[in-house]
Amino acid sequence: MAEIATIARPYARAAFEYAQDAKALARWGDLLDIAAAVVAEPGFSALIGNPKVADDALADLVLEIAGDKADPHGRNYVQLLAQNRRLTLLPEIARQYALLRADAENTVDVEITSAMPLTPDQTETFARALTRRLNRVVRLHTHVDPSLIGGAIVRTGDLVLDGSLQGRLQRLSQTMTN
Amino acid sequence: MSVKASEISDLIKQRIEKFSSATEARNVGTVVSITDGITRIHGLADVRYGEMIEYPGGTFGLALNLEQDSVGAVVLGDYTDIREGDTVKTTGRILEVPVGPELLGRVVDTLGNPIDGKGPLKATRTAPIERVAPGVIYRKSVSQPVQTGYKAVDSMVPIGRGQRELIIGDRQTGKTALAVDTIINQKSSGIKCIYVAIGQKQSSIANVVRKLEEHGAMAHTVVVAASASVPAALQYLAAYSGVTMGEYFMDNGQDALIIYDDLSKQAVAYRQISLLLKRPPGREAYPGDVFYLHSRLLERSARVNEEYVEQVTNGAVKGRTGSLTGLPIIETQAGDVTAFVPTNVISITDGQIFLETDLFNAGIRPAMNAGISVSRVGGAAQTDIIKKLGGGIRLALAQYRELAAFSQFASDLDEATRRQLERGERVTELMKQKQYAPMSVAEMALSIYAVNNGYMDKVDRRKVVDFEAALQSFAKGSYQDSMDAINAKPELKAHEATLKKICEDFLATGAY
Repeated sequence: MAEIATIARPYARAAFEYAQDAKALARWGDLLDIAAAVVAEPGFSALIGNPKVADDALADLVLEIAGDKADPHGRNYVQLLAQNRRLTLLPEIARQYALLRADAENTVDVEITSAMPLTPDQTETFARALTRRLNRVVRLHTHVDPSLIGGAIVRTGDLVLDGSLQGRLQRLSQTMTN
Repeated sequence: MSVKASEISDLIKQRIEKFSSATEARNVGTVVSITDGITRIHGLADVRYGEMIEYPGGTFGLALNLEQDSVGAVVLGDYTDIREGDTVKTTGRILEVPVGPELLGRVVDTLGNPIDGKGPLKATRTAPIERVAPGVIYRKSVSQPVQTGYKAVDSMVPIGRGQRELIIGDRQTGKTALAVDTIINQKSSGIKCIYVAIGQKQSSIANVVRKLEEHGAMAHTVVVAASASVPAALQYLAAYSGVTMGEYFMDNGQDALIIYDDLSKQAVAYRQISLLLKRPPGREAYPGDVFYLHSRLLERSARVNEEYVEQVTNGAVKGRTGSLTGLPIIETQAGDVTAFVPTNVISITDGQIFLETDLFNAGIRPAMNAGISVSRVGGAAQTDIIKKLGGGIRLALAQYRELAAFSQFASDLDEATRRQLERGERVTELMKQKQYAPMSVAEMALSIYAVNNGYMDKVDRRKVVDFEAALQSFAKGSYQDSMDAINAKPELKAHEATLKKICEDFLATGAY
C-alpha cells in the first residue's frame, strides 16, 4: 500500500498540475475515476500483465470506455501509463488526484457514519460545525451503521472523531480492565 | 488477599468517575504489515516521532520511522493479536514510566508495571523516558565517593558520585557480582540503586533479586527487568526507563546509582529493531546511531548543582546536589575490546574496570586487571586515607608486573628486586576479596596500610588472605572505636598512628 502510494504520487501530481494549468480539473477527475473503475474491474485486471495483450490495446480499451471524457491529452496520459505498465496504479492515482484537487479547491470530503439516518437539520449542523473546525468547504457523505448503537463517527482523511456509543463503551471497557 | 464485594464496587465506581466520555478526536491509520514486532502503518498523518500509538486491545507501540507514505512502529508488548488492517490511533503522549521513592524495593518491567507479585505500584508521578541530559551550567564536578566495598576498586579505580564507570569483561568474569556487591554496599550510604537487567535469563534476574533481598539491599533498590524473552523494543527501552527512575532521585537532590547489565545486549536488541525497520546497517550490522544510543543514555548520569535541584523541585529542595552514577556493563567476546560497541562505550565513559578470564581462573577475584583499568575522574572523589594509601598499591603492582616478566628468565635476583617481587605478590593476594563481603573504608585502610608498610612481608604468600582476616577480626575486637573514628573522618594524617598501633599490636599477639 505504502509503496503503491509512492509510485503513484508523481503520476497523480503530473495529472493534477496539467489539469490545473489547462483549467480542466473536473474533466480529468472524471477521466481518472472512470479509468480507475475500469482497472479495478476483475475482468480487466486479469488482462493486465497478460503477455498476449499489448499495452496499447489495454489503453485503447480504457479510453473506449471513457469515451468523450478523454481529450487528446487525457488519451496521451493513459497511453503513457500503459507503456510504463502502471495501469494498475490508476485507482491510487485517482485517489491522490482527488486529494490534491480538494486541497486546491479548499474542500474536504467528510464521511459521517451514524446509527440512524441523519435529518436535514442534523446534516446542516454537522456541515456548519465541520466547516468551522476544518476551515474548508465540507462535502458530506453519510452512511448508516446500526451497530454504532447511538451517536456518530466523523472521518476525514486520517482524522477520526468518534462520538459513537459503541466507541464510548469500548473505551469504558478498556478503562475498567486496564 | 481478601477484598470485600463492596470494595470492588467502590473501585469500579472510581474508575467510572475517572472515565471521561468526551468525544475523542484522534489521528488513525491502518496496519499494513506486521513482522517480528514491527508494524508498518498507512495513515497516521499527524503522528510525531517517538509518540505512543494505540493498537486495538490496548496494546501500545512507539512510532520510530516516519516515512512519506507509512509509519514504522515497534509494538511494546505482545504482538500476536495485531492483524493486518487493524486500526491504529495516536495518543498524543510520549512514553512515560512511573518514578518516585515508591519504586524502591520493587521489580518492574520496562513500562514500570510491577512484576514481583507485591501488588500495584503506589507511585503517583511519571516521567518521559527520553529526556535531554542536564546542561553544562547545571553540572558540578565529581567530588564524593561511591564505595563499592572492594579494596581493588576503591583503592585503584575509585568511582565518584555522578561518574560513569564501565565494567567490561568476558562472560563469567564477575561483572554482575561486582555490580551487585556495589548495590549491597550502599545500605548505609543512602545511595538509591537501580539495577537494569537487559536481555538476561529470567533465572539470573531472579537470582540477583534474591541475593539483594538476602543482604537487605532491596529496600534501596529498584530492579528494572527486561529478560531475554520480552520483545526487543522493551529490551532496548529498559535502559531509558531505568535512567528515568534514577533521574528522579538526582533531580530531588539525592544520590543514585544505576547499573545497566548489560549494554551489549541492549545494542543487539536495538540492532534487531533497526534492521527490521530497514534502517541501513553499518559496522557489525549495527545502525548508524548506535553510538548516540549509548551516549545519550550515559550523558544522563551526572552530578548536578544546587541551583539545578532547586529549579527542578521548584524550591522544595535547597542547597543539595544530586547525582546519578552510571555503571554500564559490557560483555566482550574473547577479550576483544576493539569490537564496535565496547570501543564506543569505553570512549563515552569516565573510565573502565577490566575483568579478565585469566585472572579469574587464577583465583584473583575480583578479576580486575589493575594495569588497564582506570578511573578518569574518581580520584577527586576518593577519601583522603584511601587515596594516600592506594598510591602505594598501584605502584607496587605496576613494578611487580614489570619485574615478573623479567624474573622468569633470571634465577638470582638482587635484594631490591626480590623485595619488590615479594611485595607485589602479597599485594596481588591482598586484593582478592570474597563476594558479598564488602569492606568499610577503615577496614580497607588497615589492610592496605599493613601491606604498604611491610607488615605482611614476613607472611607466607599463601597465608596473606588468612593474615588479613585475622588482622581485621583483631581490629574489630580490640579497636572498634578507632575503626569507627576512621570511618567517620577518613583522613590519613589523623589516623596513621592508630593504624600503626593496630598492626604492631596484632603482630605482637602472633595470632595469625
